[in-house]
Amino acid sequence: MSFVDSILAGLSLVGNFEAFLALFAGVAIGTIAGAIPGMSATMAVALTLPFTFSMQPIIAILLLLGVYKGGIFGGSIPAILIKTPGTPASSATVLDGYPLAEKGQAGKALGMALWASCTADLISNLALILFAGWLASFALNFGPPEFFTLILFSLTIIAGVSGASLLRGALSAMLGLLLATVGLDLVYGTNRFTFGDPSMMGGLNFIAVLIGLFAIPEVLAMVWDPKPHKGQTRSLGDNKVTFGEYKRCFKSIVRGSFIGVFLGSIPGIGAAPSAFLSYSEARRKSPNRDNFGKGELEGVAASEAGNNGVAGATLIPLLALGVPGDVITAIIIGAFMVHGLQPGPMMFILNVDIIYGLFIGLIVSSVFLFFIGSIAIRGFKYVADIPRGVLFPGVLVLCVYGVFAVNNNIFDVGVMFVMGWVGFLMMRNDIPAAPFLIAFILGPLLEDNFRQAMLMSGSSPAILFRGPITWFFWGLTVLTVIAIIRAGIRATRNLKRRA
Amino acid sequence: MQNLHRQTLIGLFAVVAGLFLMIVAIPNWVSSPSNVRNIILSPVFWPYTLSALTIVIGLGLTITGHFSSEDMSQEKAEIPGGYGRLAIMAVVMVIYMFGLPRLGMVWTSMLAFVTTAFLVRTSHPKTALICAICVPLVLYVFFAHIASVAIPQGNFVRLP
Repeated sequence: MSFVDSILAGLSLVGNFEAFLALFAGVAIGTIAGAIPGMSATMAVALTLPFTFSMQPIIAILLLLGVYKGGIFGGSIPAILIKTPGTPASSATVLDGYPLAEKGQAGKALGMALWASCTADLISNLALILFAGWLASFALNFGPPEFFTLILFSLTIIAGVSGASLLRGALSAMLGLLLATVGLDLVYGTNRFTFGDPSMMGGLNFIAVLIGLFAIPEVLAMVWDPKPHKGQTRSLGDNKVTFGEYKRCFKSIVRGSFIGVFLGSIPGIGAAPSAFLSYSEARRKSPNRDNFGKGELEGVAASEAGNNGVAGATLIPLLALGVPGDVITAIIIGAFMVHGLQPGPMMFILNVDIIYGLFIGLIVSSVFLFFIGSIAIRGFKYVADIPRGVLFPGVLVLCVYGVFAVNNNIFDVGVMFVMGWVGFLMMRNDIPAAPFLIAFILGPLLEDNFRQAMLMSGSSPAILFRGPITWFFWGLTVLTVIAIIRAGIRATRNLKRRA
Repeated sequence: MQNLHRQTLIGLFAVVAGLFLMIVAIPNWVSSPSNVRNIILSPVFWPYTLSALTIVIGLGLTITGHFSSEDMSQEKAEIPGGYGRLAIMAVVMVIYMFGLPRLGMVWTSMLAFVTTAFLVRTSHPKTALICAICVPLVLYVFFAHIASVAIPQGNFVRLP
């Protein structure tokens, strides 16, 4: 199929009112949810997922991608107006966004955040379109040993960079892998930790585990410490971003977008580090560097470009290799699976219409983001006023309905509650939940590829080192572990020096 | 010092969990066919490997926790009444789950909403009460009538 044929096939899937409506609704939901302090883009995508079960796959995935993109931008609104990042990715936006709001230039800061977000989003989407197909065609040469080493590398980096400690991240990933062993054995069909219960034979429901880990702990945290969000909402002022200001920040926006694309395409890094790196690079290179942290428009532009540049790029490993780079793409891979699709190199052959439909949808989402973002900036005060004492009970009820709807099974609701307590305990002990979830998703794939490799080689582990691709991933894994350990030792030394 | 202890505790928990899996859980709750010639292909191989790795990580956490010089002064403070509220929330969750097939999802959700709003000390009780009635009903309409999900109706009051 030629490139033009692929685009036409994609267009035939998404060129209808329903698809655009889903995308529009997704961006709107994400922007609102991201703007609510206490909600996050992850929670928004997780809670939207159950509503998509009855939809066509492409519509469902477009809706979720819209929520994802809207959520990342939405987080910048409270970051600028009330100094509370709506999502962790917007933490860097606070540094210059809030000082600008204090000077009465909130409208300017938000406008620049929107322009930077849309530009970065577009660049990120183009990078996805350019690189995903190339990477997928390369990954067609992968066999079970290559996939095993790739997944191992992804898990190592996710465990290493998700939290403050490699070991706690590794423990989290190990618990996720262990939980993934529940159910019938992949090869022999024998029971593993099912206790004779038919509900457990298919393994624990992914959505119950996911919502349990990422939404219920927030409710429990609110029960543990019930405090209303504090912070005074600043007025927008009548300042708007001029073309001259956009042009002045353009270099930082493009640089931040490329930083986002690069970091986003590596599993595990995520939007927050990208935003901070983009911000620090902009500060280093800017002639106004002394003004950074005191209300510099370029600082807002750089951090927003950094976090939005990640959004499209995280889909590169997801679509091309079937490996989720962060929690949100892990939820999206779940949506693919619910609809009977398996992301990975084969999808570029078997479901090329869906792939190109998604590409088209993503480009359109940048335009929707611009329009919805402009409205959301003005409507923020209504969103910020949602009382947390009403929001979190609502989230609890929504979780129960959503999880039940997956299989019409009350057992799943129980799994969600149990995982909620596990997630809360992990949160209290600074054990990152992201490696747990991603390991839970990739666990069966890791085991399956390992066992296939062993079957191929007559149980000789030498097959795991059979060629340059496996050596490449082993090398990356070792380098990652060394880099994380070195960073940990350096941090400990710095602490000692300060003490 | 407190957090130092916590890292060690997490490590010890991981070691105990790994040992429990290897000694009790896997032999009892993972079945393997008797005709598997190679241990690597056996259904128990993967759980045993993961348990062993959990123990290794647990030991790593215990040791690093013991020697860590991490600043522990930023330990999360205890919240007055926090444990009590969490215990009530746990009970609410148990009742919620077991109440679903008997009372129905809509009515149980209304009760759970009100209780949770009370637990998080809502400053908008009237809004919470209105939402407690409306949110489960709206969700019922969506899931039952649009998504065709068989929402549990309970034994007492059935909705259309």
